[in-house]
Amino acid sequence: MESLHQIWSFFLVATSRYQDLHYVFMLIPFVLFFELPLYFLNWMSVFRYLFRKSVKAPESFPYHPKVTCAITCYAEGMAVQSTVISLLEQVYPGHIEIIAMVDGVQKNLATYQALKELAPLVANYTKRSLIIIPKIQRGGRVSSLNAGLNRAHGEIFFALDGDTSFDNQMVSAAAAHFRNPDIVAVTGPMRVRNARSTLITRLQSLEYMLTMQIGKLGFAKLNVINNVPGAFGIFRKSFIQKIGGWNTGTAEDLDLTLRIKQYYSRYPHLRIEFEPGAVSHTDAPESLRDFLKQRLRWDGDLWYIYSNKHKYGISAAMMGWGNFIFLLWYGILFQIVMPFSIVIYTVYMAVKLPFHTFLLSMLLVYLFYFSLIMLQYIFYLALVSDRKWEDCEAALILPVYPLFQFISRIWSTVAILNQILNKGHLDSAMAPLWVLKKGKQ
Amino acid sequence: MLIFFSKEKTDLPEHYSDLFEVCHFSDFSDWEKNRTIPSAFIIAGKDRQYISSVLAKIRRDDEVFASLCFALDPVAPFDSLLLDGQLPQPPALREAVNQVEDLLKSLKSNETYITHQGRLIKYLWLRPDFILQPHHEWQYPRFYRYPLLEALSQDSSDSFEWLRNLANNKIIEALTMVDRQRECTYCRSAHLSFIDVCPNCLSIDIKLQASLHCFTCGCVDVQDRFMHSGTIVCPKCHTHLRHIGSDYDRPIENYRCQSCSQSFVEGDVQVRCAMCENEMKPGDLVLNEVHSWRLSDKGRTIAFRGEVFDLSSGFDQLDFISRELFIHDLDWMMVTSQRYPNMQFSLFGIYFANLPDLAELFNHARLLQMLESFAQRLRSLLRTPDLSTRTSENMLWLLLPNTDEQGLNGFQKRIESSMKVLLEESEHKLDFRFIGISSRQISGKENAQLLLARLAGELL
Repeated sequence: MESLHQIWSFFLVATSRYQDLHYVFMLIPFVLFFELPLYFLNWMSVFRYLFRKSVKAPESFPYHPKVTCAITCYAEGMAVQSTVISLLEQVYPGHIEIIAMVDGVQKNLATYQALKELAPLVANYTKRSLIIIPKIQRGGRVSSLNAGLNRAHGEIFFALDGDTSFDNQMVSAAAAHFRNPDIVAVTGPMRVRNARSTLITRLQSLEYMLTMQIGKLGFAKLNVINNVPGAFGIFRKSFIQKIGGWNTGTAEDLDLTLRIKQYYSRYPHLRIEFEPGAVSHTDAPESLRDFLKQRLRWDGDLWYIYSNKHKYGISAAMMGWGNFIFLLWYGILFQIVMPFSIVIYTVYMAVKLPFHTFLLSMLLVYLFYFSLIMLQYIFYLALVSDRKWEDCEAALILPVYPLFQFISRIWSTVAILNQILNKGHLDSAMAPLWVLKKGKQ
Repeated sequence: MLIFFSKEKTDLPEHYSDLFEVCHFSDFSDWEKNRTIPSAFIIAGKDRQYISSVLAKIRRDDEVFASLCFALDPVAPFDSLLLDGQLPQPPALREAVNQVEDLLKSLKSNETYITHQGRLIKYLWLRPDFILQPHHEWQYPRFYRYPLLEALSQDSSDSFEWLRNLANNKIIEALTMVDRQRECTYCRSAHLSFIDVCPNCLSIDIKLQASLHCFTCGCVDVQDRFMHSGTIVCPKCHTHLRHIGSDYDRPIENYRCQSCSQSFVEGDVQVRCAMCENEMKPGDLVLNEVHSWRLSDKGRTIAFRGEVFDLSSGFDQLDFISRELFIHDLDWMMVTSQRYPNMQFSLFGIYFANLPDLAELFNHARLLQMLESFAQRLRSLLRTPDLSTRTSENMLWLLLPNTDEQGLNGFQKRIESSMKVLLEESEHKLDFRFIGISSRQISGKENAQLLLARLAGELL
């Protein structure tokens, strides 16, 4: 106790001597309370998973139900072929029914044509079938998915994007989870296919590794996964049909995830899983402009979903205490409040502190995040990564990554403000305006 | 007059007999007894075989082959191409008959219609809109046949070969292409089967196999060798292959020979003829284009001017007598010389083996000129009582009375020397053969017809 007191006195003396540092330390509780526990919790969960996995004997069961892979296509063009081929190539003994919905087919004839070219190829594969649904009236992603759901014959419904391709074990790895009747949805890591294209895609690639492959894995094992992404969501068809499929409006993936979670207090055994072996590869926006545009929608949609669509759904009575607390913490505090506090805090420091102190504190923040990212990256590379050599390349951009994070946080503020003031959810490429307007405003 | 063929006792409806005189026959042989030439033949009967046989006999007849023929009942598709259709109502029938009679008047009448070509021209001339259609028959070796050509040539030649000559002579012109088929090099059958075989050992035991190509080490092998408990692992470098297109792909080599283990993209294709069982390569097959045809302007000119570009017309100067008369005279000579041994005669045959080929080789007019000059020289060799005829367009017969063996030899020498000129003109490509026989060498057992057939057989 005595020595602790001495340390504290030394700390006070030190801070009074270097007045500026005092301000810098204001930052620390902020980060400590907001961010570190979340990281800590996540890592612990990942460690627990990795430990259990390493001691458990690998098991495989003769469970190969018929599955339906629904691909929502729009203007992907020839890229859709690699999606379908990667599904045809799946190492899965069961039947894979591929349904490709081409939205607004008259506008997207190239995509439709690319799909039609594949039809003769399907005959070369056993237990694979391809159905192409040309939708003349453009109805958006939700309408495509629901159309696919209506036509699906498989027990398991894979909601996939036309510009995403998959490792050949994706279906078997994901389908295996559904042997457990409690599992209603599964998702897996998404990797950036065009990581080598530009600096922006490289940064996004690293972001996907850390947030998807570690972040989602850890949260899923705690059964508090934040979102089953729209480009790669796998669902038990009977369950998804029972809850009415996808709902109109933007961010239908987050909406669906929340709706599933709202069954948790009544059916506490339900689970959403994360399967590290079910790997998908998608194209990330290549230019900064496209990236910002994408995030404007994603981050804006968070506000739309939390504050509007699920205003009354976010409650412990509906989704249970665990998920409720996680949602408040991660969803509301981390994703919505923190961007604002970062902006306010930064502006406050810039105005209040002497310039060199401001720079110093910024450097400190940078170093803090850099070390955190570095730690997480090493941890990822050593324990989680499924393509270690490829992922080593990301080490080069580690020093830039905290800046990228900072910019995306600030941009989140813009996105949320855009949503609040400008109803940004009505400006989505995912569906035509008349469809979006049918959703809850 | 109408000739009505029917096995049954039924007769033509009455309104026909108002306009026409109708004769009923139950069989073609009945009609042949007095061979009255009608305006049209009408065939009735439920028995298609019966219609078919009567129709075939009419079209193969030397005299009435071009007559109008109608049927009362449905006929087989093959026969419909020989018919002028179903029997029309009397006014229409009268019109058709009148039209044929008018056309017949404008047809230059000469003996050229004894040749196949002449017959075809006459047939087509009498039917201005007639289209010569091929008939498809899967059992037939060449799939397509021309019933009319078979009938008019009295089945003596291959229709396609004849068509080729007709088209080369521009007597008929192609209208539409019906089919283009490949035929066996050996027997011209179109019943072919195509088999893909191993390009290495030509074995037919080849199998499609799923193969993979590892990008890491380039290993290409059968897919099964890559499978390891539900994952794809390269058997050579043990890389875990996860994504098509980035870790591995499917190589084009897709077949494997079960007997020599060769892997290959595409097998060689062998063709086997179902008729003669010969094997060949697809490139060796003969391409046959099947058309529908009609009479050309040139064919029509021949019909009304009589300028038959028949090669044998080169011999017109020889003042042929008809075949029947020649045979009759030869018979008489044979009998006479048997009875009076000092009455000697000789028979001399000239056969041109390759006239149609030469017609293709040379200009048609030039060949005609050559033959005409030959005929002129030949004529100067003949004496007034000598008789000549031809039994086909390239077979000439000369009957030389009062000529013994010695005289025959002398005649042959003179002919040979005159033939030399023709041979030089034709650049030594003309293939001709002679046969001569004097009355002493003829046995008493033969008659003229047998003798001609025997000698012609020796020439072929």
